[in-house]
Amino acid sequence: MNSDRLAPWAAYCVVGVGALIMLAPFYFMFVFATHSRTEIFSLPPPMFFGDDFLNNLKILTERMPFWRNLGWSLYVALASTALTLLFCSMGGYAFALFDFKFKNALFGLVMGTMLLPSFMNMIPTFMIMDALGWIDQPKALYIPGAASAFGIFLMRQFVTSSIPRDLIEAARMDGCSEVGIYARIVLPLLKPALGTLGLITFIASWNNFIGPLIVMRSPDMYTLPLALRSLQSPVNTEWGALMTGSAIATLPLVVLFVLSSRQLISGLTAGAVK
Amino acid sequence: MKLPAALRLSPTLAPYVFLSPFVILFAVFGVFPLAFSLYLAFQSWEPTSGLGAMEFVGLSNYAFALQDEWFWKSLKNTAWLALASGVPQHLVAIPLAVFIHTSFKRLRNGVVGAYFMPYITSTVAIAILFSSLFSTDYGLINVGINVLSQVPVLGGLMPANPVDWLNDPDNIKPAIAMIVFWRYVGFNVVLYLAALQTIPADIYEAATMDGAGRLQQFFHITLPSLKPMIFFGVTLSVIGGLQLFEEPFILTGGRGGSDQSGMTAAIYLYRMAFDFNDFGAASAMSWLLFILVAALTWATNRAFAPRKGTA
Amino acid sequence: MRAMGSGSMRRWAGLGAGLCLLAAHAAQAQQSLTIAAFPAVDEIVKSAIPAWKRLHPNVEIKVVSRQFSDHHTAMTTALSTSFYLPDVMALEVGYVGRFAQGGGLDDLSKPPYDIQRFQSRWVPYAYQQATSRKGAVVAAPTDIGPGTLLYRADVLAKAGVSEADLTGSWEGYVATGAKIKAATGAYLMAHARDMKDIVIRTGIQPGEGLYFDSRSNVLVTSPRFVRAFELARKVRQGKLDARVSAWSSEWTEGFRRGTIATQMTGAWLAGHLNNWLAPATKGQWRAAQLPEGAFAAYGGTFFAIPRGTPAAHKPLAWAFIQLMTLDREVQLSAFKSQDAFPSLLETFDDPFFEQPIEFLGGQMARVGWRAATKRIAAVDVHKQDAFASEVIDTELDKVLDRGKDIKTALADAERLLKQRAFR
Repeated sequence: MNSDRLAPWAAYCVVGVGALIMLAPFYFMFVFATHSRTEIFSLPPPMFFGDDFLNNLKILTERMPFWRNLGWSLYVALASTALTLLFCSMGGYAFALFDFKFKNALFGLVMGTMLLPSFMNMIPTFMIMDALGWIDQPKALYIPGAASAFGIFLMRQFVTSSIPRDLIEAARMDGCSEVGIYARIVLPLLKPALGTLGLITFIASWNNFIGPLIVMRSPDMYTLPLALRSLQSPVNTEWGALMTGSAIATLPLVVLFVLSSRQLISGLTAGAVK
Repeated sequence: MKLPAALRLSPTLAPYVFLSPFVILFAVFGVFPLAFSLYLAFQSWEPTSGLGAMEFVGLSNYAFALQDEWFWKSLKNTAWLALASGVPQHLVAIPLAVFIHTSFKRLRNGVVGAYFMPYITSTVAIAILFSSLFSTDYGLINVGINVLSQVPVLGGLMPANPVDWLNDPDNIKPAIAMIVFWRYVGFNVVLYLAALQTIPADIYEAATMDGAGRLQQFFHITLPSLKPMIFFGVTLSVIGGLQLFEEPFILTGGRGGSDQSGMTAAIYLYRMAFDFNDFGAASAMSWLLFILVAALTWATNRAFAPRKGTA
Repeated sequence: MRAMGSGSMRRWAGLGAGLCLLAAHAAQAQQSLTIAAFPAVDEIVKSAIPAWKRLHPNVEIKVVSRQFSDHHTAMTTALSTSFYLPDVMALEVGYVGRFAQGGGLDDLSKPPYDIQRFQSRWVPYAYQQATSRKGAVVAAPTDIGPGTLLYRADVLAKAGVSEADLTGSWEGYVATGAKIKAATGAYLMAHARDMKDIVIRTGIQPGEGLYFDSRSNVLVTSPRFVRAFELARKVRQGKLDARVSAWSSEWTEGFRRGTIATQMTGAWLAGHLNNWLAPATKGQWRAAQLPEGAFAAYGGTFFAIPRGTPAAHKPLAWAFIQLMTLDREVQLSAFKSQDAFPSLLETFDDPFFEQPIEFLGGQMARVGWRAATKRIAAVDVHKQDAFASEVIDTELDKVLDRGKDIKTALADAERLLKQRAFR
């Protein structure tokens, strides 16, 4: 009976087909990027690559400072990632391995903010940014995000499960300073989690458009998602250029994922397994 | 390098110092909006008149929300969507992760990557792509269903006519659930794969020697070991599902679809605030939603969290 | 204390005056005006910059453009806090009503604007649309969207019916649709909702808004709603609508294949059909007035000055608005390049209106549209209009798809609207 050999092959097929289904919209994004808007809106939609890519790129760069916006997206995402990693690792370390007053209440409060939809913060955030004078400046985008509830949650989980208290105690008794412990013991052990949080933060920052919508006033300072959205109007959207812009916008994320996939997979490991 | 004793951080002071950057940012950017929104929930405010136009109305926004048909409809939609998109994600991600873990060696990163790609796609692209894919007459999803209906056994389950995904209120919810599933199943696969890597291989070897079959091993070894990760993943799914906003927003053009069948609570909030210009009611509703999510998160905690002392 | 000698006094005065002039010049040279807009209004503003430069060479125009709803969200946010308001904001007609109720926009009927002196120069209903219930004029109209009936002449010919059959009465329109369906298989319209949308706008009494009257009474059980629902139901029962939403791929494809025979819309759709929706159907479309003498507006753009804008910017902001809305050349150039139908009556004698439109088979459609503008009536807006429109759409869907009884549906809608009429 071949059922023993059939089952794995069937499973491979299912997983393979599943992977193709996952990737299909991606494929179409790149296909659409090479067609004009008339072709995109036809039925059936184009299945293979067309020849309008350069034309779309031209429209894209004419209607908005595309490369500049890409640059801003990159700058903000990198700064956001760096700051988030630093602040959340310090904070997560503190929550996990120290005991102090109000620890649980504070953590609860932080977790609580994860539960409110972010667009409800639009107006108060706008007020704060104006009070600080940060309107139209990139720091308004990457500084607030560094206090990420998800980030500190992940870091705390990871530190709790993979760094034993005795290790820290031993280091203290050896005379290591607190800062030294953090920098030389905790951080290296946190590498996989840092990789994970870094990737997720980068992606979130890259795709974020509500933040820039509130804070940025000049098209020169827009990040990519906001700039691409400004190509859309109910009656006059350049769909081809929009798809081209979206496709190009996805590429850095793909590159980043490929580079960090090993980190990511092992990084989420001890994050939740106690 | 050792700093002089006076400057060195004591262990009691250390946590405060390490936490301070986070807490300062949080106090400014996290707490103020929270407080503002709480304050606003007790006011009547039409935003374009400016800040001075707020009027204290006590609990009337809450009263309005609780008797508002659309609010309850949006909660029902949200619950349906959270379950319909959340449960399959985990039901599929766990076996899939196990399969990838045991059966793919060289291609593992590639396969995982393929499933993770949807997570990084931007909403703009998703909007256009899925509007095209869900199109009634030529959308590839209906074409796929058509093809599948030719297959002998499976074909019986397939609908006979092309499905009107985007306009028929009965179909919008499944369409949204499909998109959410597509987007996040890979994320959960990655989580479970990571957890699987921490289960020592010897346990499985010992079980095989004892005569346990693969299915038995799965239910008695794998699943229990995955419990903590399931807790983490399900918590994220619960929170995410109850706050579902982007996918229904882009599929229904920001309106919630015919008969508001795609209108989740978050979308209704957004519309109350920015389309119907009633910020007071929107804030009150967001706090009611908050209470609901907090309660459900606590319940998830009780159901899944590792008890103290167990592995 | 010794008094300053007159010589040094003069020198100080001279220095002071020189400094003042320098400062004034510097202030002038650095001045800029921020205009917040959305596509394609941003293009229209940018193409008016040369004309602006001729009048105010030292004032730079900065255009901040966002996606349509992002723009209005950003404007809501800015108005709510009075921070970072643009000097001039472009608003689509749907939002003008909402923002007008709020009081965040400057009342242009007050000095120093005194917009009433220009009132007669604009299309009357557009000016009305920007006038709030209390008589404040919050914006100036820059382009309008006169409603029209675009139809496929070839499909009509095949079915042996004429334009008059379509436009005689609403019942006639539907009956003609049945003939078209029988003869050619083409649908009369994209969605039965379009029928409802236009019929509820007919027969509005003075003092009434679309869904509410001036005292916030709910109007949705009035005869025009009943008739609208009945006609829409007839369309659906006769399978005369394609059940596609506007701007979807099926809708576009319907135009390309000729399976949608007519569309009631703003005149600007002809431009879109020509540019990208269905360029291959050139020559097969014609434009007519809406059936049964109905006249309605589909869209329209306005410029407003936020109340919170710094006072020093307002004179220039007002000058800019006057340029965009009252200058014949600017209005005509927007019309010719972006298909933005002018709101300025003086442009109506331009030969461009009599130019045959190739896409419409050489028809001089602009003449008809021009005539329509004078007969469109502005409708009062109410804060809950956006919500009401959703509720009515939902009830209509239930009538069409689930066979709900019309009276019950409208009664349900009335109940929902009564709960919110006074919020």
